[in-house]
Amino acid sequence: MNDTCPFEPNVIEAALSGQWSESLRAHAASCPDCAAAAEVAPWMQSFASKDDREHILPDPAVLWLKAKLLQGNAAVDRAALPITRVQIAAYLIIAAGWAALLTWKWSALKVWMNALNPGRIATGTAGATTLSATALVVLVLLASATVMVAFHAILAEE
Amino acid sequence: MTADVMFAPASFALAHADTDRRSPKAPMDEAHFEAFYRKTAGGVWSYIYRLTGDPTLADDLLQKTFFRFLRSNPAVANDDHMRRYVYKTATNLVFDHFRESKRERGRPIDLPPSELRADRGELRHDMMRVFSELKPQERALLWLAHVEGSSHEEIAQSLGVKAKSVKVMLFRARKRLGDMLSKKGLAP
Repeated sequence: MNDTCPFEPNVIEAALSGQWSESLRAHAASCPDCAAAAEVAPWMQSFASKDDREHILPDPAVLWLKAKLLQGNAAVDRAALPITRVQIAAYLIIAAGWAALLTWKWSALKVWMNALNPGRIATGTAGATTLSATALVVLVLLASATVMVAFHAILAEE
Repeated sequence: MTADVMFAPASFALAHADTDRRSPKAPMDEAHFEAFYRKTAGGVWSYIYRLTGDPTLADDLLQKTFFRFLRSNPAVANDDHMRRYVYKTATNLVFDHFRESKRERGRPIDLPPSELRADRGELRHDMMRVFSELKPQERALLWLAHVEGSSHEEIAQSLGVKAKSVKVMLFRARKRLGDMLSKKGLAP
């Protein structure tokens, strides 16, 4: 798996210390990998030895505490996931209910809405509509559910 | 596999798979974390800093690295495994940062202005400038190979590349740095 030249560590060591044996020098001259490693090894060592850390590293106790707090938040989010899913399902069901009702009783609803004008109410003919009792019940139920979900959403936000 | 490791990222869980079969590991407590952090954090910070050239960003990414490490519910296991996981996470975060800021290829590191350099040492600054001219992946390869002493397999894990590719990639990175040093008259 690892096809590093077996002499590479020795070549790097020699390049860093400057103490080359003849055989190692000959190998480095004939092995492109080792030659490249020897070329940059002293520079990399010198570069790494320049300690330029000017900031004190964060305290591990603070990191530990923050991580635990974040884990706690994540746990709360995980626990709230089923509630969020139910909420989304409720929105979808209500939206589908309204769409179905409007499609199913659109003409009757239009007549019923037209009848709800002040003139007709005054003459007492507003109730004479084509909307069936079932549709009326469905309408009331859907409206109630919509109001309940809206209230829940508002309270949850607060 | 222990329950702790079940929630860990796949790479971390896999890294522990062999040791987990032997004995169940206890979850890491604060004392163990502190000991591990004190041993590794300095090296990880230097690695991130040499890759990004930005000390504030290095602080930020170091914290994120260890948050991710703790979020993976590490078990008290072989330090080498945990170290590898931390370096892999740090590398991913650095590369993600480069991707997000769209300056991953070829753009030199943002170095501090000259008036801030006086007390930091010209030589160090010049070395940083040379290193910054390499691609981020080349910087990571050279640092892991020459400073951390990582094997090709460990480098492959940290960079998310095939172990077989590391030899060629490392050779190219060394050649590129060698050429740059020769051009600038810094070669040994």
